Amino acid sequence: MLKRLLLLRGTELVALVLLASIPLVVNNSYALGLLTLLTIYGILLIGLDVTVGYLGQVNLAQAAFLGLGAYAAGLSVTVLGFGIPAALGVSMLIGLVMGALLAFPALRLEGPQFALATLSFSALCTTVLNEWESLTGGAQGLSLSRPAMLGHAMKASGFYWLCLVLLALVWMAMRNLLSSQWGRAFEALRDSPIATDAMGVGTFRHKVAGFALGSSLGGLAGGLYAFNFEYLQPQTFNYDMMVVLLLGVVLGGRKSLWGAFFGASLIVLLPNLLSSRLLFEIISGLGFLLAVVAGGRGLLKKTTQPFQAIAPVVAMGILVAGGFMVENTENWRKAIFALMLFSVVVGLPDGIMGFAAQYLARLFGIKSAALPAASMLDDVLPANTRDLGVLLELKNLKRYFGGVKAVDGVSISIQKGHVHGLIGPNGSGKSTVVNVISGLYAPTSGEVLLLGKPLPAGSLFSVARAGVSRTFQNLQLFGELSALDNVMLALKDAYRIPVLLVLLGFSRAEDRRAQAEALALLELAGLADQARVRAKDLTYGSQRFLEIARALARKPELLILDEPAAGLAHPDVAVLVEMIRTIKRRGITTILIEHHMDVVSKLCDQVTVVDGGQVIARGTPDEVNRDPQVIKAYLGVVPDEIIPA
Amino acid sequence: MNSIIIVQMAVSGALMGLVYALIAYGFQLTYATSKSINFGQGELVMLSAFFSLTLLDAGLPYWLMVPGGLLFGAMMGLVVERACVRLSLEQKSEGWILLTIIFGLLSFSAAENIWGRDDRPFPSPISADAFNVFGISITPLELSVAIGVFAVMGLIELFKHKTLLGKAFEAVSADRDAAELMGISATRTIMLSFGLSGMVAAMAGILISPITTVGPTMASALILKAFSVAVVAGLDSGFGVVLIGIALGALESLTSFYLGSGWREAPGLILLIMALALRPNGVFGKANIRKV
Repeated sequence: MLKRLLLLRGTELVALVLLASIPLVVNNSYALGLLTLLTIYGILLIGLDVTVGYLGQVNLAQAAFLGLGAYAAGLSVTVLGFGIPAALGVSMLIGLVMGALLAFPALRLEGPQFALATLSFSALCTTVLNEWESLTGGAQGLSLSRPAMLGHAMKASGFYWLCLVLLALVWMAMRNLLSSQWGRAFEALRDSPIATDAMGVGTFRHKVAGFALGSSLGGLAGGLYAFNFEYLQPQTFNYDMMVVLLLGVVLGGRKSLWGAFFGASLIVLLPNLLSSRLLFEIISGLGFLLAVVAGGRGLLKKTTQPFQAIAPVVAMGILVAGGFMVENTENWRKAIFALMLFSVVVGLPDGIMGFAAQYLARLFGIKSAALPAASMLDDVLPANTRDLGVLLELKNLKRYFGGVKAVDGVSISIQKGHVHGLIGPNGSGKSTVVNVISGLYAPTSGEVLLLGKPLPAGSLFSVARAGVSRTFQNLQLFGELSALDNVMLALKDAYRIPVLLVLLGFSRAEDRRAQAEALALLELAGLADQARVRAKDLTYGSQRFLEIARALARKPELLILDEPAAGLAHPDVAVLVEMIRTIKRRGITTILIEHHMDVVSKLCDQVTVVDGGQVIARGTPDEVNRDPQVIKAYLGVVPDEIIPA
Repeated sequence: MNSIIIVQMAVSGALMGLVYALIAYGFQLTYATSKSINFGQGELVMLSAFFSLTLLDAGLPYWLMVPGGLLFGAMMGLVVERACVRLSLEQKSEGWILLTIIFGLLSFSAAENIWGRDDRPFPSPISADAFNVFGISITPLELSVAIGVFAVMGLIELFKHKTLLGKAFEAVSADRDAAELMGISATRTIMLSFGLSGMVAAMAGILISPITTVGPTMASALILKAFSVAVVAGLDSGFGVVLIGIALGALESLTSFYLGSGWREAPGLILLIMALALRPNGVFGKANIRKV
């Protein structure tokens, strides 16, 4: 534990001290310029990593936010006469506000549409900066001079230290934020937006917040950029720059502060490396060797597909061969970027830092931080068996899809503390019923009442907040998150610290408590020893149990289990039955959709049978089993004499 | 008099808009089969145009150059599919966005170094001398663009509806898994769609180059508008792109007339963001039901 802290924090501190002391030792204005640029790009890429790494979206607007921030700072100084701190504040604010504004329309978008929205935004920004000549000077550019700060003229070294301090502050704040509930939520909504909403975390607010945060760092970097170059032109912040920034993040390694820093160094140094032929040959040669070694290893161990191993080797081979053929490597700068980026995206999806981090962790024997002892289950899910009465009432619920009447007038009332079975043949409408209850679909007509109050219609998030929690027939886990994080993310009422304090690192105690509670739920699901395993690496059965544990973390009034036994091996079904019994003893009302009749018979107090979108029978499992209508629905028409009396 | 100028601007713009529609149609082809598009399609248009110009310079007659250029476009489309798209689709990831952007970057740099940074004229046997229709002047060259666009789109639609291979294309578009279970290779169909898409891009390059000249920067000018047309119409809208393409072309031409040529990109970009915000599936697209 101490070793881990010492190594991780120690490296950061040493790096900071080294960087800070360089201007004292080396008196070279060119080197100082590069270092300043490195810190600025560091901040910029940490911001970009929020969207590209954590939210997992291709964001093509960060260059535009750099430009907006730069112009905001420039104009604050030239027009409004602000000092450096105020101008940087304006830059950040512009990034934050414009980022949030862009996030709203981009909110519902995924993948290519998101990339297109950000691409259009960038192009629009360049157009406006170019054409609004009265304010920005248009293509002529905008000149400014760095104002004095605290009564002292800002010399190159002083400005560098300012940038370095800001980078360190951003670094610490982001480390705190990304290791908190916020960081988990960012990653979760990349893996499954639906489950993020269904767990009451909220896709909406986190996507907007993540994007606005990344953009505000872009703005801050822009402000520093303006004070560094003291001259701005709209064309600087174009598509080419954006691709270079993406190169930095992806090559350095996504979801990593060190990756962003490494990427920034690369962006700053690359033009210099390319200008020297010898250096270029060395780098392309090293790249080629790395591709051959990594690809060969992957092929031998059969961890990578042939294409993943061969394509980077081919790309780097072209780079090496091309290096001998062309006269001036500078002219081919973009092609060189492209080939390197291609090799990394295909061959090293975790980037160079992601690759190195695994290796270093093994080399120094760094283990994950120790976990606290699990809380008592009684504290996490207090048993409540006293209340009686109706918990959930469906009144004449209908849901049509075009002409298809998936649910056509269903009325059910569910008692508190019961396990209520919902069964029916395939396509009978049971999944649609729970999808309407949980807010995935709005009902076409009818009412859903929880404790007599109508549930919000058509919003997974609001329904989850109202006390309904669910699992999914087709698993919706957060695959990249650990089992522990999956449960921690969903924990109700565990996170109360406002975001500003989270940035300052005051959420650790809260996180420890959440870990303890989540561990208790993992124990219930029999997964306590796999807390650190990524959800997508768990066995299928364990994934099903993890989803139940995660749903329980909502401490729900009503738990909906949508075919929890589907695809489970026989021993796992027995474990599941035991698990649902434990849940029942806690007094949690459960709706169970299930095809295994033995499971239903063992667990359910009441059963409702639907077919063709309508209720055809209700009663205890035994009563329903004997109902002729039910037998007919499942088996087709049956002669009278074999229907048991 | 003024109204004549406005109509003139709108008509010229609309004819240009047809080329945007053609490139957008190329997006639809690959989106239908694989839910992916080539972010480097503009560079593909540019590369094909340069290649065709080289064929002409080598002495090939115009009418033999056209199939040569189309073949080149189709082959580049296949390269994009193999190098940038297939792996991501297998991994069900969105890595293809980044990889096709990288393809564009590489193509741009290659074109810059092979053919130079300057814009070059692209000869065409079709006359650029205007004739008058109700006081509006139209050149045969502009008209040839319209004819070419409709011919290519018509032929591909005919292919999709009348041939067995075309039916396979439609089947994979409708439901990839079901089509595979029926013995249709989805991978081959996706290859086909990228080949066709590359061919369409080459056609767009050959059609528009005599009017705009050929240069490395033609890619970025075209691609943003093609994106706008595709998104505003909807990526599964079929001929919807033609209407939106014409409308956007006219709008853009009028914008540059009234506000200055620096703003000509703006309406397309604003429309694209608005469309994504208000109707992510496009004006003519179909909405999907979320399933779990």
